[in-house]
Amino acid sequence: MSITADHPRSPANAGTTTGSGAAPPRFRGSSALRQIQVLSGRSLRALREPALVLPGILEPILMLTVFSQVFRSVSQTQSFPAGVSYIDYLLPAFLITSAVSAGLKSGVALTTELNNGIVARFKSMPIHTGTILIGRSIADTVLNAVNMVVMLVAGALVFGYGPAGGVLGSLGALLVAVVLGWSLGWVFMALSAWLRKPEAMQPVGGMVNMVLLFASNAFVPTDGLPSWLRAFAEVNPMSHAITAARDLALGDPDAGTVLATFGICAVVVAVIAPLAIRNFRRAS
Amino acid sequence: MIDVSHISKRFGTMTALDDVSLAVPRGSVLGLLGHNGAGKTTLVSILATLTRPSSGRARVAGLDVTGRAEEVRRLIGLTGQYASVDETLPGRANLILLARLLGATRAEAAGRADELLELFDLTGAGRRNARNYSGGMRRRLDLAASLVGRPEVIFLDEPTTGLDPVARRGLWEIVERLVKDGTTVLLTTQYLEEADTLADSITVLAEGRVIASGTAAELKERVGRRSVSVTLRRAEDRARTVEALRRAALVPAHDEDGLVLTVPVADSTDIAVVVRAVDEAGTDMAGLAFSEPTLDDVYLALNHPTAAHHATAAATAATTGHPTEAGTSS
Repeated sequence: MSITADHPRSPANAGTTTGSGAAPPRFRGSSALRQIQVLSGRSLRALREPALVLPGILEPILMLTVFSQVFRSVSQTQSFPAGVSYIDYLLPAFLITSAVSAGLKSGVALTTELNNGIVARFKSMPIHTGTILIGRSIADTVLNAVNMVVMLVAGALVFGYGPAGGVLGSLGALLVAVVLGWSLGWVFMALSAWLRKPEAMQPVGGMVNMVLLFASNAFVPTDGLPSWLRAFAEVNPMSHAITAARDLALGDPDAGTVLATFGICAVVVAVIAPLAIRNFRRAS
Repeated sequence: MIDVSHISKRFGTMTALDDVSLAVPRGSVLGLLGHNGAGKTTLVSILATLTRPSSGRARVAGLDVTGRAEEVRRLIGLTGQYASVDETLPGRANLILLARLLGATRAEAAGRADELLELFDLTGAGRRNARNYSGGMRRRLDLAASLVGRPEVIFLDEPTTGLDPVARRGLWEIVERLVKDGTTVLLTTQYLEEADTLADSITVLAEGRVIASGTAAELKERVGRRSVSVTLRRAEDRARTVEALRRAALVPAHDEDGLVLTVPVADSTDIAVVVRAVDEAGTDMAGLAFSEPTLDDVYLALNHPTAAHHATAAATAATTGHPTEAGTSS
C-alpha cells in the first residue's frame, strides 16, 4: 500500500499545488446545461459497448425480416393501398414501433438507475434531479435515431425499401418517430419512477407496448380488423403517428396529422416530465 | 460546523430518531456509535439532505439542511453503502464524471481523478470497471468519490464495515489525514475501537436516542471493560490461580464451570502481570486472550436495555474465552 502515515501529500491538496501555497480549487457545482451535457454523455457511453448496442439494432432488423416475409400477402388484400409494396408500407411503421421500444428501454433503464449507487450520490451533490432524467432522455433519443438510420439503410439495401416520398420523406418519417420515442420515453420514465422496480416495470411496460403496437395500423390496415379492435386502433395515438410517418415516407404527407403528432408529443412531455422528475426525486 | 438540535424522524409508527442533538466543531471528528437500527444512517441522510426530519432542525456550516439544502450539498461529501459509484464505469471515469458535474474543466477533472486514484492506491485499477473491484478497493473508490470537490464536511457511514483489518487501517489513515487538513468529519461505526482511534468525541445512539456523549476517554472511563481471559485446563487449578491473581492486585471473575477467568485490566501491558501470576500459581493454561471493550460493553455499562438484546452474544464470547468482535490482540 502506498498509503502511509508519512505520505507527503494529503487528500485536500494532493497534486494541484506544488509548494506555491495557493489553495487548490474546490469544486462547488456546475450549470444545469453542463450537468445535462455530462449526464447524457454518461448514458451514451453505452455506444462504446457493442454488447449493449447490437441487440437494439439487430432486433428491429430481425423483426423486419420476419414481418416482411410472413405478412407479405397482406399487400394482396383489398383494403391494402394500391401500388404500394409491403416493405414501403411496413418500414415507416417499424420506425414507430422501434420508437416505442426505445421509450420502454428508457423507463427500464431508469428503474435500474434508481438502484445504482451513483444516483444516491448525485442526490447528495449540487445537481438538479431533473438533469439526470433529461440526460437520459437525450442519450436515448440519440441512440434511437441512430438505430432508425441503420434500419432505413438496411431496409433500402436489403429489402428493397424505396417509397415514393424519397429520402426526404423517409427523413420526415424518422423525425416523427424520434419525437414520438422522446415523448414515450418520458411516459415510461414517469411510470418507472412510480413503480421503482425493474421487475415491475418490465411486464407493465411490455403490456402497454403490446397493446399500443398491435391494436394499431402498424402491421395491417385497420379496415381489416374486427370492429371493436378497429375502434380502438383508430383512436390509438400510435396509429396517428404511424399514419403521419407512413404518409411522409409514401410522399403524401398530411401537414395536419404530422403537426398533431408533434403537438401531442410536446404536450405529453410538458405534463409528464415534471411528474417523472418529482417521482424520481422521492424514490430512493 | 454541524449542529443538530432536537431532531426526530418517524417512518409511520416507527421512530427512527427521537430528540437527537449534537454538535461537531469545525475540523473535528465526531464518532456516532451504535448498532444496526440505532438511527445512525437516518441521521446521516438527514444531514446529507437526502431525508427530511419530522421535527427539529439541523445545520451544516450554519445552513439549514431543509431550507438551504442546495447550498449544503455544495459543502458536503457522503460515503455510505447506498451512496457509491457507477459500477458500469471504470473507477477513473467515475471520478472524472463527478468532478465535471461539480464544475471542473476536462483537464481539472482528469487531474483530480488521477491524484485521488494515486492517493487511494487505485492508479493501476483506474481503467477497470468498478464492479470488478474488491471490497476494500470499492470502499476506497467510494471515499475518493466523496472527496472529488474537496468538501468541507464529510459524512462517512460505516466506512469500514465488512473490511479486513489491513484495509480498515488503510482507511483510518486516510481519514486521519483529511482531518489534519481541516475537514470536519462525522463518522458512524459499530466499532468502539474505530471511534476511539478516529473521533475527538463520541455520541452513542441506541434506538434513535442519544444515550451517551463525550470524549473517547470519558466513555472508556465509564465502560472500563478491557479484560484478559485465562482459560484453564483443569478446574481444580482455579482456586490457586485466583489467589495468585488477587496477590497481583487483580480482581478475577470466573464463569459457571470455572474454567475461564475474566480479569479486568487497565491496558494491554497488564497481560504480562496476568501471565506472571498464572505462572507463579503453577497453573496449566489452555488459552489467553485480551479483549478491548466492545459496543456491547458500552451498552452494558450505560445500562441500556439494548444490552440485554445483544448480551447473549457477548456472554457466549466470554464463556468460550474468545474475545468479541472489535479489537483482538493476544
